[in-house]
Amino acid sequence: MKVQITNGMLMALIINMLYAKSIGMTQGIMAREVKGDIWISTFFSTFQGLLIIALIVIVMRRIPEGDLIDQFHQILGKFPGKFVAISVFVFFIGAYGSIMATFVYHLRDYFLPEAPTVLFILAAFLIGIYAIHFGIEVVARMALIGVFSILALNILLMLGSLSNFDIKELLPVFQSGFTETVWASRHHNTDYAMTAMMVCMILPLVRDKQTWMKSSTAGMFYGGMIIVMWPILEAGVLTADVTAQYIVSCMQMARSAEIGLFIHRYEMVMVAFFALSILTQIIMTFLCSAIAVQKLFGLKDYRPVIIPVGIVLSITCYWLVKDHHRAMRFIEGPWVLLSIGTVVGLVVILWLSGFVFRKKWKTNHEVKQ
Amino acid sequence: MKRANLIILIIFSTLLLTACVGKREINDLALVMAVGIDKGSEDGKIKVTVQVSRPGDARGQTGAPTGQSGETTWNVEAEGESIFEAIRNLTGVASRRVFWAHNFIIVINEEVAKEGIGDIVDFFTRNPELRMRTLVALTPDKASELTSTITSLEVTPGEALSKLFRYTNISTLAPYTEITDLLAAYLSESSEPLLARVSLKERKIDGLKPEEGAKRKQVELSGAGVFENDKLVGILQADELQGIILFRDNINSGVVVVSCPKEKNNNISVELNKQKFEVKPTYKNEEVGFNAKLDASVTVVEAGCSFSISNKDDVEQLEKAVEAKLREDINKSIEKIQKEYKTDVLELGKVFQNKYPYEWRKVKKDWKNSFSAADINLTIHASVDSGSLLFQPTISGKEERKEK
Repeated sequence: MKVQITNGMLMALIINMLYAKSIGMTQGIMAREVKGDIWISTFFSTFQGLLIIALIVIVMRRIPEGDLIDQFHQILGKFPGKFVAISVFVFFIGAYGSIMATFVYHLRDYFLPEAPTVLFILAAFLIGIYAIHFGIEVVARMALIGVFSILALNILLMLGSLSNFDIKELLPVFQSGFTETVWASRHHNTDYAMTAMMVCMILPLVRDKQTWMKSSTAGMFYGGMIIVMWPILEAGVLTADVTAQYIVSCMQMARSAEIGLFIHRYEMVMVAFFALSILTQIIMTFLCSAIAVQKLFGLKDYRPVIIPVGIVLSITCYWLVKDHHRAMRFIEGPWVLLSIGTVVGLVVILWLSGFVFRKKWKTNHEVKQ
Repeated sequence: MKRANLIILIIFSTLLLTACVGKREINDLALVMAVGIDKGSEDGKIKVTVQVSRPGDARGQTGAPTGQSGETTWNVEAEGESIFEAIRNLTGVASRRVFWAHNFIIVINEEVAKEGIGDIVDFFTRNPELRMRTLVALTPDKASELTSTITSLEVTPGEALSKLFRYTNISTLAPYTEITDLLAAYLSESSEPLLARVSLKERKIDGLKPEEGAKRKQVELSGAGVFENDKLVGILQADELQGIILFRDNINSGVVVVSCPKEKNNNISVELNKQKFEVKPTYKNEEVGFNAKLDASVTVVEAGCSFSISNKDDVEQLEKAVEAKLREDINKSIEKIQKEYKTDVLELGKVFQNKYPYEWRKVKKDWKNSFSAADINLTIHASVDSGSLLFQPTISGKEERKEK
């Protein structure tokens, strides 16, 4: 029987997939553009994320047993399906680049500056291939615990930094202008794009199809609300100028938090609690990439391609994250275009194709059933 | 197949066994407690003094040496063309690896600060080991001497220095300045840094020679240094700070000494308990202004004359006297900042920007002049609401008998 996950697990996967990169790296990038308005940009992004996830659920409901690649296959034919499989694989190579930048720059820059980059890449590779070997259910269960650790981190950080919070730093709103604030949300949209693409690949595995819409949008909404605490605190405690100064601004936030005299420097606390989120990102990227390659070659199972896919992802990302400048330029520039372009492009094409080739896919679907 | 997978997994796992790369044994670390930065012996050089804790000797409650060399800290200095080079040069004398994570304070000599502290801010905020809540202070003395002086009640001088700042929210003798605040002010487009100042003063009485009085130097909180960009441009003495800190931080306390309502030769001391301070910007005829309002609840803590809070006339007179004294002190400090130093350490630019974001775009180009020309109207309201434990005035029973 095909492995299935519950709607709660889907929500947990969405929250974890959104969290790790959004709270630090993305906020730093946005702060360099719109300063103290990063929290407003984050809200805008959440709203856009909700729209795209709602559209994805509407589109996927047409052929609920097929993922994005299957849907293209059934509606537009074999070769468009193969093309989408390649696009999804390329998308997840880019996604893995941004995830590994978050992973490596958190651990190496703040804890193990002498450790070689390849060590982190290798660790992620081993964890990734080991976890997806057991399938999505195991990862989804881990993500449920991840949500609790995310909440614990948020609460601890709030307790440790509210005393230094200055509302003046959040004002005036729209200091860089309304359009610029909306435009800056594209950086956070890349995180939503990554999550949306994951949903496109795993939605058919979610048990209760009637509540897809509710659980997907709820996951996105709760994820957004959990994340938005960070830009508010980063701007109000560190100030937007300091947030913009760093690659991983959430670690600066963690370094500045303290409860009383003895609990200070949250770096270790932070890494411990957000580990499950970043591991979920790593594992789900491996899984979705492996599924894309499986569909590309028409294999019955994704497991035979786990290691080759992992090697391709790891080598590409090693090259990317070895140079901070190269990684940041990629995340701030081409990745925005690639991620949002791929997700929005594919989903909209699929949505419109569904109307044009209505008869074709309905017939195919009925024949298969 | 399973066996093959297991073998592959084991082979890959061995790649992770990299001899605990980056490990640091605690007995290999020189735990820095305080850092002093002075000018070097040659032009362009910088001298870094680090105070390293000697855990073996710093044990115990009293700081009494428990063996070893008897010194609780190991102070050592090195020079270089940059801070990093100076620190690297320390490795030539330090048998352990210098570790910054437990550093309490960075003390910068004022001569160095006058030439600019941009490189210091950059170095210490770039360093992943250092805490962002590390204190930063200036000193007119040699930073190397100040950080090495055994002071106060603590075993480690660095710890003593940090504890001096623990109660600055009630003493207002110096602002509480951390590296993160310094960085924020330095990066800000409107505000300027204000750094705490510490100095060495002969304050300690030697228990063996009490007749000589206070001869031994101790570290004392001594006001603040005012910066423009990264350069020190002026000093505010401790008694000038009360009004300035109000603009920047929430302070819980403060002391005002005024003449008694009836006996002008005697003084009455009051403590400011709750202070609500609010600044509202104004912009009229393209001129920047600020209306500042202070509401203070006051407690009488020492009366050198007959005073009771039940006497309404006395209370009213005292309130007026406190208001006048506070107004005089705060205005004096503001004037010094505005007219003499012309640097916005009061963070008024931020306040103005929040209320008038569009006007700020015009004003910010010449904010230095706009700030120094800004009219700051101060409204103070003090209310005496407590006489501490006493209700009746403390006067001699014989005097009372005479009055009867």
